[in-house]
Amino acid sequence: LAAGAAEARATSEGQLPGAAAMGTGTPPSPSGTAFEETRLHVFTLDYPHVQIPFEITLWILLASLAKIGFHLYHKLPSIVPESCLLILVGLLLGGIIFGAEEKSPPVMNSDVFFLYLLPPIVLDAGYFMPTRLFFENFGTIFWYAVVGTLWNAIGIGISLYGICQISAFGLTDITLLQNLLFGSLISAVDPVAVLAVFENIHVNEQLYILVFGESLLNDAITVVLYNLFKSFCQMRTIKVIDIFAGIANFFIVGIGGVLIGILLGFVAAFTTRFTHKIRVIEPLFVFLYSYLSYITAEMFHLSGIMAITACAMTMNKYVEENVSQKSYTTIKYFMKMLSSVSETLIFIFMGVSTVGKNHEWNWAFVSFTLLFCLIWRALGVFVLTQIINVFRTIPLTFKDQFIIAYGGLRGAICFSLVFLLPPAVFPRKKLFITAVIVVIFFTVFIQGITIRPLVEFLDVKRSNKKQPAVSEEIYNRFFDHVKTGIEDVCGHWGHNFWRDKFKKFDNKYLRRLLIRENQPKSSIVSLYKKLEIKHAIEMAESGMISKVPSSVSLSDYHEGKIKPLSPTEMENMREILTKNLYQIRHRTMSYNRHSLAADANEKQAKEILIRRRHSLRESLRKTNSLSRERPVLA
Amino acid sequence: SVSHSQITRLYSRFTSLDKGENGPLSREDFQRIPELAINPLGDRIINAFFPEGEDQVNFRGFMRTLAHFRPIEDNEKSKDQNGPEPLNSRSNKLHFAFRLYDLDKDDKISRDELLQVLRMMVGVNISDEQLGSIADRTIQEADQDGDSAISFAEFVKVLEKVDVEQKMSIRFLH
Repeated sequence: LAAGAAEARATSEGQLPGAAAMGTGTPPSPSGTAFEETRLHVFTLDYPHVQIPFEITLWILLASLAKIGFHLYHKLPSIVPESCLLILVGLLLGGIIFGAEEKSPPVMNSDVFFLYLLPPIVLDAGYFMPTRLFFENFGTIFWYAVVGTLWNAIGIGISLYGICQISAFGLTDITLLQNLLFGSLISAVDPVAVLAVFENIHVNEQLYILVFGESLLNDAITVVLYNLFKSFCQMRTIKVIDIFAGIANFFIVGIGGVLIGILLGFVAAFTTRFTHKIRVIEPLFVFLYSYLSYITAEMFHLSGIMAITACAMTMNKYVEENVSQKSYTTIKYFMKMLSSVSETLIFIFMGVSTVGKNHEWNWAFVSFTLLFCLIWRALGVFVLTQIINVFRTIPLTFKDQFIIAYGGLRGAICFSLVFLLPPAVFPRKKLFITAVIVVIFFTVFIQGITIRPLVEFLDVKRSNKKQPAVSEEIYNRFFDHVKTGIEDVCGHWGHNFWRDKFKKFDNKYLRRLLIRENQPKSSIVSLYKKLEIKHAIEMAESGMISKVPSSVSLSDYHEGKIKPLSPTEMENMREILTKNLYQIRHRTMSYNRHSLAADANEKQAKEILIRRRHSLRESLRKTNSLSRERPVLA
Repeated sequence: SVSHSQITRLYSRFTSLDKGENGPLSREDFQRIPELAINPLGDRIINAFFPEGEDQVNFRGFMRTLAHFRPIEDNEKSKDQNGPEPLNSRSNKLHFAFRLYDLDKDDKISRDELLQVLRMMVGVNISDEQLGSIADRTIQEADQDGDSAISFAEFVKVLEKVDVEQKMSIRFLH
């Protein structure tokens, strides 16, 4: 980029050769008409004209190419989380820029991060949030997010302050408030990498929603705490009234953000009621309203993250029913694309910004920060779980607690927050930056890579792994399907007064107002209805449907002795089964920033529906033909 | 026995499934449950609710079938075994599952019946031969008296290490 800029300068200078050669001291006029005409240039290079969009495009392109590169070796993403690889790419790039220009590379502008890069990620998380499960576990999520973050922030802050008091480390100029601020920004847990790993670990749904929900709620709390302590740091005296104001501010920020989000969510749902004539821009409304809720909340210094999450969760249900199937797919994919790009850019910038002269290394501070982060997280999760298990119907096991604690990876939010610190108030800002970077790198790399093997190790220890019989998988899956089916007959498991009340209110008023036509409620039924005939024809043509064992093939079976199978054959069989047995219908789709897992479930659902429809039709036809034949025979 | 609040809740579920007729449920009422529509074993499960030859199930029958899925209490295990075996005993749970396979009710799961269930549970990418050999293997692992079919006793034996009590229990049917 630097080379390009230099070139451009040279060329634009070259455009006025006549004037330069004159050397008379008269400034060359741009038109060059003073002394000599410039000939018409057949080819010009004007880099400054396009500089900003060009650079942005190059960055995004680089990020996407890096992603392609990772997946070339197919085993790589499962061993090393993508975030690690992206940071490495960023480091490489930062090194190149640093080496070429001998100064620190551009640091991610915090405005860019908070206004442009963060909202898509939160929107994506909020939109695909399974609302029912979320609200069922809301107490626990809230508990971990609020109390857990407070515990971490204050614990780390105070213990670091204690360390700073030891004069041998040279840290005595860091005040208690500064330490508390540092503690609050470093306790921002970002379990994105953990969520990506969750697909391979078998975690129960409760755990998944806990980690997922905690990540959303605790972002908001961290930002609130951060702003609070930052203002405190800048005030000369702190009165008791200020502390109360701080607590009140927390509630206002949180609840205000949620209200803005809900309000705009309803407006969005209402708008989509009328968009059936302009299907093409339907997705735009979803994105515009969500982003509007974010920046409106930010304008009032409320929590933009809570606002956009609330907006997405509110409008999700109603929008899904109002927009066309194609718009719905567009929304999902575009959202994934935006959040994926954002996340990639953030990690690359993190790598780039690490290189440079922004650092101050102090062994004690950095190592103790890391230590305290780990200790307080583990302690916090343990203590909080003991308390919350008393109130939960399904208690959290040790494995769950380990995953929650070990999965407390830090990421981009604390990175950006530390860059936002005003250097006037924080003379040791560079020290903070170094410590944050070390913690992020440790958690993302070490914890991110090792969490899967550790969980597998825990799993293996708990279950006795004997060589399972081929039929065992069949029986297990059989029982699971039966159980799921009976559960579905019984209706929702768990019974909640408030949820039923809300459902009644929803049916009576909200749905009438916000949804265009009276459509069936379940997405599965609407899927059934929207099932394209094309699919059914395709499947029938390829002969896939007619795989009901006909009586002819069955009679071919010889009554001979079944020969025993070799281990490899058994292994083959087991493999075939594992790949082809239908999955149990999960209540929550597993969340992945990088793909829409819902597609796999939908595909399976479509297949089952088509086959059952077909076999129903077949059996109806058979009974009809039989009843028609009888008179003939008679 | 199931608790009073559970009975009330299941009764309201029963009536909500029954679209407008205010009487026993028919097969169509069950087929209207969307989640059941995409369950591979949906049809068999629905059949399990209807007694032999009948097309309607009343609430009593509905509860009877569901009672199989009540979790087994610890204190029940030590109860006196003189009375009739409760519906949610391990043996009865297994019998319920067995009946899902055994369509012709001859107390044996033949290769055909096994193949039918397997075909329902498996995607469209498995060929008939592969499925056939899987079915053969399944029978071979269970069959002890060499009749190339699985009797109920053999079924029980094969599943003795499987935690059927947990797999066929629904937590809230307490």
